[in-house]
Amino acid sequence: MTSFYSGPGFDFSNTVRNNFLQDRGLPLPKATSTGTTIVGCIYKDGVVLGADTRATEGPIVADKNCEKIHYITESIRCCGAGTAADTEFTTALISSNMEMHALSTGRKPRVVTAMTMLKQMLFRYQGHVGAALVLGGVDVTGPHLFTIAPHGSTDKLPYVTMGSGSLAAMAVFEAGWKPDMTREEALELVVAAISAGIFNDLGSGSNVDACVITANKTEMLRNFVRPNERVTKERSYGFRRGTTAWKKEQIRSLIVSEEVVKHGEAMDVS
Amino acid sequence: MPDGSFSHPQQRSFNPYTENGGTILAIAGADFTVIAGDTRQSEGYSIQTRYAPKVFRLTDRAVLAVNGFAADGNMFVKKVKQRLEWYRHAHAKDMPLRAIARLIQTMLYAQRFFPYYVYNILGGIEEDGTGAVYSFDPVGSYEREACRAAGAAQSLVQPFLDNQIYFKNQQAAPGQSHPLHLPLSDVLSIVIDSFTSATERHIEVGDGLEMYVVLAKGRSAQGLEGGRGVQELTTRTDGDRVFVIRRELKKD
Amino acid sequence: MQTVDMQQLKSGEINLGTSIMAVQFKDGVVLGADSRTTSGSYIANRVSDKLTHIHDRIYCCRSGSAADTQAVADIVHYHLQMHTQQSGDRPSVHTAATLFEKLCYENKDALSAGIIVAGWDKDVGPSVYNIPLGGGLFKQPWAIGGSGSTYVYGYCDATYQDGWDRDQTVEFVKNTLALAMSRDGSSGGVIRMCVITEEGVERLFIPGNELPKFWEGVEVLPPLSFKPKQQDPSGPVPMAVEA
Repeated sequence: MTSFYSGPGFDFSNTVRNNFLQDRGLPLPKATSTGTTIVGCIYKDGVVLGADTRATEGPIVADKNCEKIHYITESIRCCGAGTAADTEFTTALISSNMEMHALSTGRKPRVVTAMTMLKQMLFRYQGHVGAALVLGGVDVTGPHLFTIAPHGSTDKLPYVTMGSGSLAAMAVFEAGWKPDMTREEALELVVAAISAGIFNDLGSGSNVDACVITANKTEMLRNFVRPNERVTKERSYGFRRGTTAWKKEQIRSLIVSEEVVKHGEAMDVS
Repeated sequence: MPDGSFSHPQQRSFNPYTENGGTILAIAGADFTVIAGDTRQSEGYSIQTRYAPKVFRLTDRAVLAVNGFAADGNMFVKKVKQRLEWYRHAHAKDMPLRAIARLIQTMLYAQRFFPYYVYNILGGIEEDGTGAVYSFDPVGSYEREACRAAGAAQSLVQPFLDNQIYFKNQQAAPGQSHPLHLPLSDVLSIVIDSFTSATERHIEVGDGLEMYVVLAKGRSAQGLEGGRGVQELTTRTDGDRVFVIRRELKKD
Repeated sequence: MQTVDMQQLKSGEINLGTSIMAVQFKDGVVLGADSRTTSGSYIANRVSDKLTHIHDRIYCCRSGSAADTQAVADIVHYHLQMHTQQSGDRPSVHTAATLFEKLCYENKDALSAGIIVAGWDKDVGPSVYNIPLGGGLFKQPWAIGGSGSTYVYGYCDATYQDGWDRDQTVEFVKNTLALAMSRDGSSGGVIRMCVITEEGVERLFIPGNELPKFWEGVEVLPPLSFKPKQQDPSGPVPMAVEA
C-alpha cells in the first residue's frame, strides 16, 4: 500500500532518477532565469525599489513584461533576480510567514524579520535555491534596504543593485546618489539605474517597474516607463480560411441530453 | 596546486573563438536579391558595439554577409575582397557570383582543421540576371537557395521564412498556386518583420538593421530611389546596382 | 597541507577576502577590519561592517564566506542571549569563542569561515581568540586574519609590544590594516575599529582618504626639470644598429 502522504517542503524523489539520466548524457532542462536588473534606494521619506521586466531562457526572451517586484507585506516589497521559480516561491513563502507572524504578534512586521527569514532559508539550501534579492520597506524603526545573495549573505546599504545588470545600475548610483533625496529625485535615479541595465545588459530589457514605499503608503508603479514599445509590423500575417491542410473531417455533437426524474421531497431551503 | 606542488596533473587551455551574436539573412527574388544583417556585436551579456556591419558589398553584383566570430568574419571578408581584386587585375572584370561562391568554399575548406568560425551567406545577381543566394557552413559546404537565415536567431527566423517565402504549411486557394518569387516590396517587408521580431525575442539581436538590395541590370529601381534611409552604392545605372537601406532596431 | 583554499568557495558566493585583526591591551581589546566584500572581481559592498556584535562586550571579526560567517555569528549571538537570560550573567569571551569553535569544527566540511573573537569579561579582563579555517581555537595577545593578513605578519611581529595603552593599540591596528589593504587586492575601502573595555564599546571609523600613508614608491620617470648630462665623447657609445 503506497502512502499518499507528502510531507512539507521540497520533494527529492526524482533526484536519483535525474542524476542517472544526467550521467547518461541527458542535460537537465534549463530553468527560466531572470537575467535581471533590480535596484533599491533609500530617500528622505522611504524606499524606492526598481526592476526591469525581461525574463530569459538562455538567449531567448521568455517574458517581455514580467513582474519582479514581489509582495511581502503592505509596506515591505522584494525584487528578485536569479532563477525565476526560486524568487517567486521564496518571496511567496516568506510573505505568507510574515502575515502569520503579524497575526500572531499583533504588530506590523519589520523588514529585518523578512530579511532574517529569507537569509536563514537561503543559507539552509546552500545556494541551491538560486534567489538573489533586494528587500526594501518601511517599518516602525524607519526605512530599510537589504540585499540577500543566494547563499544567504546579507548587506545593508542606502543604495543597492543586483542581477546581471547590477554593474550598469551601480555605476549610475555611484555617480548620482546623494543622501536625503526627495521622492522625485530618488525615483528619477532608480529609473536611470534600471534603464542603464535595460540598454547595456542583454539579460535585462523592456520596461521599468518601480515601487515607492513610505510609512503610510505603498505605490506600485507597474510599467512606470515603457521605452521599448514594439514598432508596428510591415505586413499583417492573417491566414486565409482553409490554409491548413486536412485529411479527414468528423463532426460530433457535444450536447448531452439527460432526463431528470423527480424523487422524494424537495429540500426546504427557505 | 595552491602550495605550488605538481602532484596532480593539470590542464590549461586557450579558446581562440568567441560567439558575437547577431543574425543575418538573404532572400533572392526573380531579378533582385536582399541581403540583411543586424548591427549589434555582443559577447556574453555585454554589447561590444551597437554598429558593427556584418554585410559587405564585394562587387556591383555580389554582397556577402558573415556571422559568428566577428574577428574571423572581418578577416575572412578582407581576404575574399583581396582575392576579388587580384581577379580584377588578372581578368579586367568582376568575378561572377557563382565563381565567388566556389572561391569562398575553397577558402573555407583550406582552414578545415582551424576553421573560420563564421557562417557566410552570399547574395547577388548571377550572370543570367537572376537573383541568387548561396549559404555556407564554417568549413565550406554550400548550396544555392532562394532564402536563408543564419546566426543567433536562425532558429526563430528560418521557420518564418520557410512559411512566408516557400509557403510551407500553407495550402494555396483552390485553383490557384503560390508565386515562385515575391516582389521586392514584399521581400523587404518580410525582412524588416523578421528582424523586428527577432529583436523582440532574442537578446543578441537589435540596435540597427542594414539591408543590401542588389538589382539586376535593367531592372527598375522604382520605390527604392529616394526612399527612407536608402543609399545607392553603385555609380553606374546601366549595370547591376547595389542599394543599402538602414533602419533602427530596439536597443534593449 | 593547509592552504586557504578560495576554490572551496561555491561559485558566485560572496567572499570576505579580508584584512581583519584584534589586539589586546591592558584595559580592553581593539578590533579592526577593512570594509570590502567581493563577488569575483566585483566589489559587492565597499563599506561593509565585518566587526559583528555578539554580545554587550564581545565582538567578532569575520573572514571567508559572507553567508557562512553571518550564519555562524547569528547562531552564537542567539546562544549567548539564551545564556544571559538563563544565568543572568554576561557570558565570558571564552564561552563565545568555544561556541564559535564548536560550530566551525563540527561543520568544517561545509564552512569556509575564519573568525577572530575578542572582548572583555569580568573573569579575565580583555582577551582575543583566533578560530582559523579548520575550527581550531587559539588564545593570542593579538591575531590577524583574512587574505590581507599574509602581507603583515612580519610587520606585526616586529612592531607589537606588551603593555601598550589604548591609543598605542588603536594606532597599531590602524597602521597594520592600512598596510594589508594597500597590498591585498581583495581588501580595501575604509577601516572600521572597535574598542571594547569594561565601560563599553567605542566604534572608530577611518575614511578611505584618511588612511595612514607609507612609502608608496617613487616616480619612475624623472621630473620635467631633469636634464641628462651631455654624453662624454670618450665614454661608451650606443651600439650601432642596422637600419
